Amino acid sequence: MSGVTRARTALSARFNERWRTEIDDYVIALAWSSDGALLAAASVSGTIRVFDGEMGSIRATFPGHTMGTNAIDWHPDGTRLASIGQDGKAIIWNAKTSERLHVLPVGAHWGERALWSPKGDLLATAAGRIVRLWNGQGEQVREFTDHASTVTDMAWKPGTDQIAVGAYGGAVIWKADKDQPVRRLTWQGSTLRLCWSRDGSILTAGQQDSSIVFWDGRKPEPSMMWGYTTKVRELAWDRFSKYLATGGSETVIVWKFGGKGPEGTKPIQLVGHQDLLTALSFQHKGNILASSAADGTVLAWLPGKQENPLDGLPGLSAVSHIVWSPDDRALAIGDDQGVVVVANFVQK
Amino acid sequence: MMQTTDTRVPVTVLTGFLGSGKTTLLNRILTEQHGKRIAVIENEFGEVGIDHELVIGADEEVFEMNNGCICCTVRGDLIRILGNLMKRRDKFDYIMIETTGLADPGPVAQTFYMDAEIERFLRLDGIVTVVDAKHIWEHIDDKASKGGTEAKEQVAFADVILLNKTDLVAPEDLERLEARLHHMNAAAKIYRTQNAVVDMDHVLNIGGFNLDRAMEVDPKFMEPEYPFEWSGVYDLQPGAYTWVMGEGPDPAMQVALLRLSSTDEAARAALVERAVLTFSDEEHELSGNGTLTPGEMLAQLVLNASGETRFTVEIAHAGLYTLFTEHHPDEFSAALHGEHSALEAAHTREYKPDHEHDDEVTSVGITVPGDLDGDKLNRWLSQLLRTQGQDIFRMKGVLSIQGEAQRFVFQGVHMLFDGRPDRPWGHELRHNALIFIGRNLDRAQLNESFRACLA
Repeated sequence: MSGVTRARTALSARFNERWRTEIDDYVIALAWSSDGALLAAASVSGTIRVFDGEMGSIRATFPGHTMGTNAIDWHPDGTRLASIGQDGKAIIWNAKTSERLHVLPVGAHWGERALWSPKGDLLATAAGRIVRLWNGQGEQVREFTDHASTVTDMAWKPGTDQIAVGAYGGAVIWKADKDQPVRRLTWQGSTLRLCWSRDGSILTAGQQDSSIVFWDGRKPEPSMMWGYTTKVRELAWDRFSKYLATGGSETVIVWKFGGKGPEGTKPIQLVGHQDLLTALSFQHKGNILASSAADGTVLAWLPGKQENPLDGLPGLSAVSHIVWSPDDRALAIGDDQGVVVVANFVQK
Repeated sequence: MMQTTDTRVPVTVLTGFLGSGKTTLLNRILTEQHGKRIAVIENEFGEVGIDHELVIGADEEVFEMNNGCICCTVRGDLIRILGNLMKRRDKFDYIMIETTGLADPGPVAQTFYMDAEIERFLRLDGIVTVVDAKHIWEHIDDKASKGGTEAKEQVAFADVILLNKTDLVAPEDLERLEARLHHMNAAAKIYRTQNAVVDMDHVLNIGGFNLDRAMEVDPKFMEPEYPFEWSGVYDLQPGAYTWVMGEGPDPAMQVALLRLSSTDEAARAALVERAVLTFSDEEHELSGNGTLTPGEMLAQLVLNASGETRFTVEIAHAGLYTLFTEHHPDEFSAALHGEHSALEAAHTREYKPDHEHDDEVTSVGITVPGDLDGDKLNRWLSQLLRTQGQDIFRMKGVLSIQGEAQRFVFQGVHMLFDGRPDRPWGHELRHNALIFIGRNLDRAQLNESFRACLA
């Protein structure tokens, strides 16, 4: 337990393992179905496994994508799972019946992202510079190609039919029923990850050049925060759109929005990991932030309240993904050796 | 870091124009290394297919780093693909990146130093450039086109140059081409090949960016810049000869006539050194019908306004004489005539092939004994990289810094500088040896400013 300090102050909480299993390779994607009944895990070499969220038993196995799966996303109905990979296809699977419902040509070999819209009526796929929107019947309804380079990430604006598309040169916001972009957010730099604040007012972009950029819909100009150790691919907003947790180093950097900040303010620095961060996840309805790092540690924090981690989970290899269950009572963890763990998080 | 075994996966970058034979080389590597797990990243699908299960296609995407300097560009496609490959449980033994003929190798090389994830798992082993011996001229001399720039950069960045398709080119053309490539990039090893047949040890695991091997190429072996382009050896009896020149590109030409003691290699080399010294002397003007005598004197032959110009050459003692000329005699239709006819030189040599092309890409080697002042060196280097970083493609060397027991080794790509103390000098003579390969480099200025850093 070296490097992990148990908090003995205001709040006490601990992780305990609910179940643990293994998939065939590095966990490249991990996603809970909306009701928390199922957890899907995709391996970098392609296979997708769907586990029972409570028990860890296998509920479905999909071959995924030749050459590798890159991303997965659950439909809000908790049954349909979309996946995309390096074979130029997106596939919609039925996790209950193990059926392959639709195979969609995404427009380029390297399919990067597949994301269901908040209402679930559309699936967006990104491959190369091409973003396509598909309806539930697997029919293409729109195509957006006006991107400066290969699309690196997408994010639906919460509660809307608008999608932010990131690439080198910034982000473009498209609306599902329009061919012209709603807004172009220009930024000279390579955007790697996009994340909306939960209220949809701020779009954050993690950058290749060790910085983050954010566009606040209420302000005319974007802002940049720099000084990270490396590229920033880990971004997480809390439920009040007040805290933005960022990676890009061994320390979790949390920016506090509202008031004058975050510009010109000093961020909260959460020290505990011994290697670069790999993932961040804020609870859906709670205030706990989970972080993971390449040293195999997972830590839980209460940003703004406590500087020390609430608890930690050691013993994994380099963690690749962490994600809170929809009820916030468990954290799903995947690592670079294919280990998948679901740990209960018990607050006292 | 001490001398530890680098367990990172090596990456070789293959560059060269479409049709140069780089895909043939790639297929050869995949065949000969069939026991190894090799991933191939391909940016161009050429006329030769690759018979391999792990080929990943990608568009070349160059990204500028916003908060870095302007020449800190990286390749986004490679970061994405290499990052993904490194995650797989089935680790690769080797990764080959085949770029398009129009790719700039700079961002490719910089990608291995500008991204923490890539740097952790991968090491750039070397850049191998395949050159089509028959068609490279069209590219290199094509000043206007983008292709010309890229062809030169690919030569300049290379650790290894395969001069391929040698069977399609006459031996003397091959000599000229090799000399020119060497002039552009004196640090690269050049191998002549047919059908890209080459020993695997010459292209794989070569450690081109390895600091331990930073000074395997000693700049003293680099061909210096000669002030003359041509020399011819004549076996002459006592008497009067005539050097006849037609009209040429210049109104005058410098020459020196020196006695050669014997035909062996050492004597010839010594004579070239003497000629270099002679050419640095004050010149003596000689008009038409003037007399040229052997000896360490630089003559400036001034041509008549039009037509032929004749100079008398007086020989007192029988023997071998070497005439060094500023330009190639062919440019002036010049020849040495005996009593009855023009004489054929027994041996000729060209010193700076295609001088008229005035290659903008060159190598500058500096070798200086003694110790450097650390502060001066720092200032010099940071100023140099700031002002000329964009034009310096590669650099490497070993430095002797005052007060430091160990050698300092370095290598760099554009403005990226990678250096550290190496083994102690011990009994070895403390000296500095470095080489720059770049565009529009000022040899004299680089030498002079470097010497100013001496303690």
